[in-house]
Order: sequence, then C-alpha cells, then structure tokens
Amino acid sequence: MTATRIVGRSLPRMDAPGKVTGTAIYAADFALPGMLHGRVLRSRDPHGRLVQIDASRAARVRGVRAVLTAADVADVRYGGSVKDEEVFARDRVRFAGQPLAAVAATSPEAAAEALAAIEVAVEPLPPIVDVTDALAAGAPLVHEGWASYAALPILHRDGNVCNRARIVVGDVERGFEEADRIFEHRFVTRSVHQGYTEPRAAVAQWDSAGQVTVWSNTQLPFEIQSTLSEILQVPVSKVRVVVPGVGGGFGGKLRVGVEHFAALLARKTGRAVKVMTTSEEELTAAYARQPAIVELKTGVTTDGRLLAREGRLWFDTGAFAGSGPGVASVATLMLAGPYRIPHLLLEGYAVYTNKTNFGSFRAPSGPQANFAVESQMDIIADALHLDPLDFRLRNIVREGEEGPTGQVLTAVGLEECLRKVADAIGWKDRRPAPGRGKGIACGWWTTTGGSSGVYVKINPDGTVALNTGAAEIGTAALTGAAQVLAEDLGVELADINVVSADTLSTPFDFGAQGSRTAFAVGNACRAAVADLKRQVIALGARQLGVDESALELRDGAVVAPAEGKRATLAELARISQASGGGLIAHGTFVAPPTPYDAKRVEGHVYPVFHSPSFHAHAVDLSVDADTGEVTIHRYVVAQDVGFAMNPTYIEGQIEGGVAQGLGQALSEEIVYDAGRVLNANLTDYKMPTAVDVPRIESILVQHPSLVGPFGAKGVGEPPNIEPPAAVANAVASATGVRITSLPITAEKVALALRERER
Amino acid sequence: MGKLALSLTINGESHDVLVEPHRTLLDVLRTDLGLTGTKENCLDAECGVCTLLLDGMAVNACIVLAVQCRDRTVVTIEGLAVGAELHPLQRAFIDAGAVQCGYCIPGMILAARAYLDENPTPSEAEVREALAGNLCRCTGYQKIVDAVMRAAGAPAAAR
Repeated sequence: MTATRIVGRSLPRMDAPGKVTGTAIYAADFALPGMLHGRVLRSRDPHGRLVQIDASRAARVRGVRAVLTAADVADVRYGGSVKDEEVFARDRVRFAGQPLAAVAATSPEAAAEALAAIEVAVEPLPPIVDVTDALAAGAPLVHEGWASYAALPILHRDGNVCNRARIVVGDVERGFEEADRIFEHRFVTRSVHQGYTEPRAAVAQWDSAGQVTVWSNTQLPFEIQSTLSEILQVPVSKVRVVVPGVGGGFGGKLRVGVEHFAALLARKTGRAVKVMTTSEEELTAAYARQPAIVELKTGVTTDGRLLAREGRLWFDTGAFAGSGPGVASVATLMLAGPYRIPHLLLEGYAVYTNKTNFGSFRAPSGPQANFAVESQMDIIADALHLDPLDFRLRNIVREGEEGPTGQVLTAVGLEECLRKVADAIGWKDRRPAPGRGKGIACGWWTTTGGSSGVYVKINPDGTVALNTGAAEIGTAALTGAAQVLAEDLGVELADINVVSADTLSTPFDFGAQGSRTAFAVGNACRAAVADLKRQVIALGARQLGVDESALELRDGAVVAPAEGKRATLAELARISQASGGGLIAHGTFVAPPTPYDAKRVEGHVYPVFHSPSFHAHAVDLSVDADTGEVTIHRYVVAQDVGFAMNPTYIEGQIEGGVAQGLGQALSEEIVYDAGRVLNANLTDYKMPTAVDVPRIESILVQHPSLVGPFGAKGVGEPPNIEPPAAVANAVASATGVRITSLPITAEKVALALRERER
Repeated sequence: MGKLALSLTINGESHDVLVEPHRTLLDVLRTDLGLTGTKENCLDAECGVCTLLLDGMAVNACIVLAVQCRDRTVVTIEGLAVGAELHPLQRAFIDAGAVQCGYCIPGMILAARAYLDENPTPSEAEVREALAGNLCRCTGYQKIVDAVMRAAGAPAAAR
C-alpha cells in the first residue's frame, strides 16, 4: 500500500475539545423553553390482567398538564421483526416495568406525585420467569394472539417461541457416528445491562404544521423516525429525529425507548416535553442482554479434529420479540465458532417470558455463544490431553475456506491472532504458580452491512463539510470516516466539520450498530470524493485552460504539474458558488452481498458475517483459594482489524469492550426473582470501576478486508465477545474447577472449590 | 413551597438564584444556569458523572443541595480552562485518547483535579483508587488513568 497521510494515524478525535470542556451537548442536556417533564408509570407486576387504571386523581395534581394511558393512544402494535409491542399495556401486563401510563408536568416533583396518584388494579397471573418455564408442556402463552401478529415471513414462530433460526450442514448424526469422542455440556448466562452513563433521553416538540421534532440519543435516528410514524400514526415525513449527542449506546439505544412517550405527551399538551430514564427504569425496563441457555454436543477424533456439532441456544427475549429473532439467528453463526466443522445442526431460539424485552448489547449473542463454545473447546482439549492452543490451531478456519453457511472466508487473520496472543501471555507456562492460570479464547464477528449516504461539500475557504446520517455514539467512528475523507480529498482532518444524524437534512444511514459506522460511512466518503474529483477536475480544466487528463487532485488543490498550474479547492468552491451552485457530492455505500448457501439456513435473518473479523484473547489470573476471588494479572487481545484506521481509538474499543466483558464474566447480573429485578440500582448492579479493570494490552493484526475503506473491518463489538470464555478457561486452568455459568463470582468459585474438596 | 434567594459563586462568577430548598446543586446548575457540562445520571451518588469541585473538594452534585453552597466556591468543568487555554488535565485527556462518548469525562477530570491537588505525584494504583467513584463504560479506564498520570507529570504550577 502507498503511504497514507491521515488514515492509519492516531489523530485526536474531532469532538474531544467539546467533550473535555463541557460544551458538547448530549440529548440528556437538551432543553427548550417552557419544557415539561415527562415520566412513565410502570407495572410492578410481572404478569397479570390489567383490570383498571384510574388516572383521574393524577390529572388533578397541581402542575400536571397531561396523563396518558392505553385509552389515549392509537391501538397499534409495532416492532422490528414481530409487531407485538404496544405503547402502554392495554388489558394484560407482561413484565414488571411495562409502561402503563405517562404524565407530563411543570416540574419533576409534580410528575412524580402524579405517577403516585394513578390507581392501578392488576389481577396477578403466575409469571413465566424463564425459558424453561416458557417451553414447559402446557405453559401459558405470553402472547395468546401471537399468530395474529404481523411478522417477517421468514421467521419460524410457535407459541412462546418467536423465532427458531437454524443452520444445517452435512449430516450431524453421521458425524457423531464417525467421532471417537462426543462431549455434551450445558452453559447458562444471565442478563447484563449496556451501562451507558447517559440515560436514554428525548425531547419532543410539535409545530403548527403537524411535524414533530424529537431530539434523542438514539443510535438509529432513521429507525426511530419510522417507529414513531407507526406509533403516532403520522407520515414518516412528519417526524424529524435529531441526535444532539450520545453518551454511550452499546446497542441499548437502538430501539424506541422514551421518544414515543415524549412525542405523545408533547402532542397532548402542545408543549415541549422531555423524558429521561432513571437507573431503576434502565435496569428493569431497557434492552439489556438476553439471558441464555446453551447446549453443545460436539464430536471429535482422538487426534483433535472437530467432526460434528449439535448446538442449541435459547434466548430469553422477554415479553416482546424486539431484537430477539435476529439475535437468535446470529447466535447460530457464533455456535459454529471460527472452526471447520463438517457436520452442523445449530439452532437459536428467541423465547417469550415475563421479563423486559431484552435487546441488542454489543456483539449480540456473541459472549453467550462464545462462552459455551470456547469453554467446551478447553474441556475437550483437556480430555484429549491436547494443548488448548494447538487444538484450536488444528481446527480454525483459514483463508478461502467456508463459513458455516457456505460463505467463502477471506482476510482470515485468526492464526496470527492466536499465535500472537499466546506468545504475549507466555502460553508455554500456563500454570505458573498454584492458584494461577492462563486462559485463551477466540472468535469471529461480522461487520454489519446496510447502506450509508453522505453529502460532502467544499466550503469557499477550502474546508469541507461532511454531512452524514450516522450518529457518533462515542466510538470515534465519524473521526475515522473523516480521516478517510481527508485522506482521499488531500486535506487535513482539521479542515473537516461533521454534521450528523438529522433525519430531515442528513442522508440516510443504517445507523450506529453492528461495528459498521467507520466502515460504511468511510466508504460513502470515498464515493463522494470520487464524484468531487470529477467535479473539481472539470472545473479546474476550464479555469486553468488545460486538459482534464493533465490534472490531479493533491494537497487541497487541482494541479497540472507539467504546465505548473494550480487551483485550490477554495478557489474552485468560490467559482462554483458563483456559477454552479457549489461543490457538493452525494456519496453512497452498501455492503455487497456475501454469497452463501441458502439451503443450509431456516428462519434466519442474518445468514452471513460480512467482512468478518477474527480475534483471540488471553488472560493470566489468580484465584484466591479461600474467597474464590479472581485477580487478573494480564489481559492481552489480538484483533484482526483489517486496517487500523486510528490505532488509539481502536485500542479504546478493545480496552472498553474487554472491561465490559469482564463485568459480564465476573460481576454483572441483573438478578431476577419471580420476574422482579432485585438490584435495580448502580450499587447492587456491579459494573467494573477503575480499580477492577486491569491494564489491557492490544495487538492490532491487519489482514485487509476486500470491501472496507483501506481494508478496515468493523472493530467496535468484537472485544466484548471473548472475555467470559477467556476468564472461565483461565479459572479452570488455575484451579481445575470449571464454572459453566456467568457471572463467575467469587462466591460461585469458592463454593465450587469447597465442593471439590468434599 | 417557599423559595430561597441564594447567591452562588460558580467558576468565579456570582449568580443570584431563587430556588426551593429541596433542589440540588446539579439541578440548579443544569436547569437554572444552563451549565450542562456537569452531567446527570443516577441521581444517587453511585455513578460520579456529576462530580464537581465544592471548596476544592470533589463532590457529587446530585446529592448536594443548592442551599448548602451559600458562601462556598463551586468549580464546574466549564470553569477549568482559562480562556482558550485548556487545563493540563483537559489537554491530557485529549492527547491520551481518553475521551470516547465523553459523558463521564467532566466528572472524571474534576475528580482527578481534586486528587492531584491532594497528591501531585500519585502512583497509577492511587489514581485508580481516586477515580473508583466515577463509572466509565467506554474506555475500560486505561487511557483515563494514562491521562491523569500524564497531567501529573506536567509542571506543578500549571495545576
């Protein structure tokens, strides 16, 4: 590759000064004059018949301007793949935390008083507390009318199962017959919350033309726009969604959260209304990660070749389908792992229960499936007396081989990741001291497709405006895209200003999800520059009186080297403004389809991993023999990022993703008892603090993607996938005790150690 | 509920406000004075995003009443830079790549500022301990700790 000026460099992110001085405005900071405070009344019961809801007393509370219940809103069901959701419970309550009513008042105190004054009568029904309950013979249906709901036709739905996705390759029974050894294990994971520090927040205001503007910290402004159009029963063009700034998302801010309440209350009152979640609402009624049960049956030869796998993963999707059917699909690809296995039968289920609608959390399905797959890899290696690293190297996918659904894998950097991470952690000495051990885990992940558009405009001073529909949620992805733009256009990063995420004025973008933003927006920028080049060269040729073929774009100018002539972008922009409406280009990108074998999949909404990334993690830790407490000494990640667009912020993704993953591995769990959350606050929900997270070492491996800008692959989600498995494997290495459920708390480890002593 | 007239000194400027006695410093800063650099999240002193300096001490503004701040000095993130000149901690947070979503950053910077005033040459472990009341979900804390160590290496006069 030729030398680059801007991409590949650790330049400071463009929005950093505003963020360190407190001037950056987030949705939670957004305010309008005379704005009312909206609050939501939520069910205390996990399951029941809603007999009556009386808001008359609440409406009379001083300062209250509106109270809304199901009776006041259109009777529509909405949702992505299954339209099973409603704004407020109408006759049945399906989870503790489900919205029953919303109020708007002149002060937060008045809103709180009004909530307390709403009288709710629920006739409780026994809750369906987990997947086992929901799938039991004769289990009551969470949605009796499930069959009548509009849904993607591709889904396989049946009662409490809102999708069963399946991959079938070869003949799994024959594979087991050929196998020398068969291993069967069951793994359990719990729900964890994204833990963004900015609550979900929205401000809504209607204008006299009947258009509502919603300022929200959503990751997907265009999806929120279409969902609000359904809920509010107005054309999509009457809904404008603007994202002022986002204080972290991690997948938790994809789906409509508070925007609809703000919009409905604003319509009712004729005033601007702000709704922001509390920590309790976040931990009881948000889109946390699905709890999962995973069963794996894997057949191998004695010399350590994987022959067959039957795997099933059941997700508790909660009271609504939400992201569940899609996440269950992705899970099947993760159950295969980054391995060559000739015979596969893999199923992912999304199952209704009486809990919150679990959603998409950074690499949805990744950690749950990987914890099972990579734990079992170590169990098998131990049983076969193989080194876990060698066992993996014997089975990993390699360049040009097939993924589970038949996609041809390219730019496969997995072996390099595994070898580098093993070298870095000192793998040869896996058990350096009593109670101390090392663990390894590897995986693969997608760079989500979807389309992106940008407008790129050259200003009369030669600076450049990048107008994108994507929101910057903190990853610096838009800095990465701007680096691509600056590189191609021959300007400096400081010359670029970004305008983003306004459904009225910015071009469409599929959104900040699936590790796709820098990848897709970066490619759209490249397309825009190609167009701008044509424009400035045509204009420059006319202006300089030279042939177009004599001109090239370089260092912010079009140059005819032979003639010694030159026109700057600033000059050309001014000329164009006077004569041709200015220099602007619409660049677009959509990931090309990845061919696969459609006969291998059923009920599958995500059959391939586009531009897949590969990664390996290794950890060195000690376990206290008395308390069971885990102390991490070193944690090393080797991730194939394709091309390191901005190494500093890629390291930042790795460090943050691992920290979040260590939370799931060791301490985090939304604890449920009979359908109610027991720890709905940030003291009892234990996210890692600065003293809990070790220094994380990043190794950036670069096997360039054929599609990504300069070869980049998605980098944001992967670091969150492997930590639970790596930790479980290291704990097993340190103690000989295998923990098959998350989180691996000190208590759980200590009890397992006692159990073994008996 | 009756309102109280208060004079608050924030970032060296005096502000006269009329507030109910139950209202927090955080609420008054954000709602009445438009100083939204101090962030809002848990409202229960669990997350630390609202950390600011009260008489030089790092406190969570969500559990301090505005009336408690009479005749005291409040410094928020908006008051840290001198004109266009960023405070060394702000500079270090940018240079170390410590900023991602940024929502925890004002609180982090002010918690660090208060700690460095107390201990200008801390160890990394001490910095981690000092920041343990401030949650960050983006960075894994590493580059934040690096930024504070970097700022601690700056000339003492600059702090």
